[in-house]
Amino acid sequence: MLTPKQNLLEVLNWGNPEYVPLTFEAMKIVGFLSNGPIESPTDKDGLDPFGVLWHVTSEGCIPDSSKFILEDITEWKEYIKFPDTDAIDLKPFAEAELKDFDSEQQMLTYYHPNGLFERLSAFMGFEECLISLVSEPEACMEFFEALADYKIACMKKIHKAYKPDIYVYLDDLATARGTFMSPQTYRDVIKPAHKRIVDACKELGMIFFQHTCGKCEDLLEDYVDIGIGVWSSAQIMNDLTGIQERFNGRMVIEGGWDTVGKCSQLGSSADEIRAETRRAINEYGPRKGFILQPTLLNERGNSLFVGDDRLAGLFEEWAMNCRIY
Amino acid sequence: MSKIIEVKEKVEAGKAKLVPGLVQEALNEGCSAPDILQAMVEAMDVVGNKFSSGEIFVPEMLVSARAMSKGVEVLKPILASSGSVSNGLCIMGTVAGDLHDIGKNLVTIMIESAGFDVIDLGVDVPITKFIETIKEHPEVKVLALSALLTTTMPSLRETVNGVRESGLTGFKILVGGAPITQAFADEIGADGYAPDAGSAAVKAKELIA
Repeated sequence: MLTPKQNLLEVLNWGNPEYVPLTFEAMKIVGFLSNGPIESPTDKDGLDPFGVLWHVTSEGCIPDSSKFILEDITEWKEYIKFPDTDAIDLKPFAEAELKDFDSEQQMLTYYHPNGLFERLSAFMGFEECLISLVSEPEACMEFFEALADYKIACMKKIHKAYKPDIYVYLDDLATARGTFMSPQTYRDVIKPAHKRIVDACKELGMIFFQHTCGKCEDLLEDYVDIGIGVWSSAQIMNDLTGIQERFNGRMVIEGGWDTVGKCSQLGSSADEIRAETRRAINEYGPRKGFILQPTLLNERGNSLFVGDDRLAGLFEEWAMNCRIY
Repeated sequence: MSKIIEVKEKVEAGKAKLVPGLVQEALNEGCSAPDILQAMVEAMDVVGNKFSSGEIFVPEMLVSARAMSKGVEVLKPILASSGSVSNGLCIMGTVAGDLHDIGKNLVTIMIESAGFDVIDLGVDVPITKFIETIKEHPEVKVLALSALLTTTMPSLRETVNGVRESGLTGFKILVGGAPITQAFADEIGADGYAPDAGSAAVKAKELIA
């Protein structure tokens, strides 16, 4: 019988898993809520190392929309001062987060938020960022290359302190109805620096997970093209079964949960959550290359971090139904 | 007249640097300010439809809106002296408990581009603030409410209920946001629902027709 870690590795390597893995059973997630020195604060409102003011909500951090630090992308060198990564020490954060980590049972998974697009949005606001992508593409590309250097330097620090098996790069490039920018704009302006981040991750021996919420299916071929083998948060507004057929053996999907449906709304019943658990396993499990990642928010935040009485039923339902291979 | 057509084309193409000069040339040609404004509104209708159909994306829509905004700046002094040609006032905000401004801002831009005056109350707006603002501006035609999270859908419902219970009338309530559907909009008693920013502008005009 495989351990959760071994089973997940079988899924990631398109081998012979024994069952559909569940994110939180097979992975120990770190970094996201560490309140470390390289990204936005996670415990209370405050400035990140670039000087961006963030608000901490129960659903996550969000930059203050009235206090952006960059107006014109062509002036980024004047206003964006990259933190000194040599001075960053993640060891205390790693020690705190790895106390109960069992490397025999789980894969250590570091969540690194604020990818290239999200970080530029945090600097200049969403509208200015998007306008810049099409009106000043050269300046954006130059900025993204510099930001990729910073992200890679941070990644090396993360690798040194945590030694993660999996590095999750978060960059939400899509709405519920489609990508924010055209796929061609992504290709021309963001993809080259994005590829460097993927390459650097692989050179460090970590498995790269690309987290992109929303309907981003038009970017997936580009993701595979730059070496991404796992797409995370795969939400159901994308044609997930079609994607599984198209990318069979090339890209694992993690997600499959109806994040806006009845099961994800406040007050959804335990039965509705159980039914969604079964649906996701039955619909996406048989093609393999699938990791179930439920996203259940409640009044206090993400239930998997803050707890929820309904989770016991979800885990039970998963355990009863996941052994389909 | 030819300059008006050019203004329209350049707004569609998002040429913010060219539009103000062309608007001035159109005025010099003898075109009226309301006619030029109408041409720009029509251009943004085209842009909104292209966005809703997936032909263009948010950045292209934004650059067109910015081009129109630059043109409107030229027209503003003239429009102010000749009386308003606005479609009316829209009060906009993201409901209490929700800090997301992206969708709300895009809708604001498109509704402004459709010829409405907009008061944007920002994010995390309490029900009382919506009610106070409506009382201060009884001429309001549309109250547009945004919620991005499944966890703030109840807040959207409470806001609609709160505004209805205040007894204030004379305006329509338009709702939207990632988890919002037509069914949910109907359930909470909104007058209209729009799935994206382009559709929101169309729906706002429908609601006041």
